[in-house]
Amino acid sequence: MALIVCHSPKGGTGNTFLAAHMALGLAEAGADVTVLSMAAHDTLPLHFALPPSTTLSTLHAPSEDSVVVSGIDLRHAGTAPHDPDFIPMLKDLGYFQTGRDRTLILDVPSCERNLARRLVNHACAHLCALDTAPETLALLPQMFDEAGKGGLSRTSFVINRLDDTRRLARHNAAFVRELMGPRLIGRIRLDESVPESIAMLQTLARYAPSSAALADVRRLVDIVLPALDADISIWSGAKSSSYAA
Amino acid sequence: MRVDASNLLNRLGRHDFSYKEFEDRFTELELWPMLEALLKDPRLLELDGAAASGPTSPSPESLPHAHAPAAEFTATPPRPAAPPAPEPSATDSIGALFRRYEGPNAAAAPAPPAPAGSGQDVRAMLRHLSELGSRGEI
Repeated sequence: MALIVCHSPKGGTGNTFLAAHMALGLAEAGADVTVLSMAAHDTLPLHFALPPSTTLSTLHAPSEDSVVVSGIDLRHAGTAPHDPDFIPMLKDLGYFQTGRDRTLILDVPSCERNLARRLVNHACAHLCALDTAPETLALLPQMFDEAGKGGLSRTSFVINRLDDTRRLARHNAAFVRELMGPRLIGRIRLDESVPESIAMLQTLARYAPSSAALADVRRLVDIVLPALDADISIWSGAKSSSYAA
Repeated sequence: MRVDASNLLNRLGRHDFSYKEFEDRFTELELWPMLEALLKDPRLLELDGAAASGPTSPSPESLPHAHAPAAEFTATPPRPAAPPAPEPSATDSIGALFRRYEGPNAAAAPAPPAPAGSGQDVRAMLRHLSELGSRGEI
């Protein structure tokens, strides 16, 4: 089992898009994926070609009530930020253990920083979507300060909605690239096909198979995929050799 | 994707566009005081500590980003004649990251003060970005 936390310090950076397409890519690669949206008003179903009226079941709901798209179990936990038993429940369900057999992707709203920080401590990976807006960059010091060294050691960054034709976006992307170094695992180009596919109630892969954003996010999946096999104790610092093996 | 764009891609035998011809002088980065202000923020050093922490941090090989250095997805591939850029590693400190941009002998140079409040590091970084831009690597 593997836990991947998708959380950004700022809203509107495409965190839900990243979570959804990471799920689609990992499922295509053979992983058994569940996506848990933790937003009070979530837009996760839209990225799976579901209509806006779709209501997702909670993690406790029976499987016959769940919404499954492309083999991905979509769930909702809007009350999780205020539920002290949420993290122990994930542990009881086995998501803090190792293995690729089940993968849980958490789409955590940007405002839930404390919850995200606690979840990252148990995750095998934290994916942080950034855009090139100066407002987003301005939040990085605060994010680093709150995450601490332990949290940042699990964090990988992705530049989303990159528009290379814009000077400021290009400069800010270069700045992030220099600042993050290898922690920046990729970028997703700005692509009008993404909102168009949502408006068409189609998946991005069906609406625009040649989408630049789709190609970029698939590259990210290839990068993240090996982390599913990581022993969680390696990410959390405990001794283990299973990953290297 | 618009039909005309899709048709054009089909005629070109491509799956998507890649942006390659957006050159500008990266010394213009100095026009953005926010970037300089950010580099002077000592909280960015948390990133440094996270990379260099001892047994409590994952090995660089175990990190997903270890499989894809940032240079791999730059829009324009580096020219063969260009000198190879230093390979970033998870153990680089931010101070060392900036230091190596000072020149070929920078690695042997004594460590400069921490980035906090150091305008030199900002200029070094901007200089490096400018060099990358002139080589077409950004």
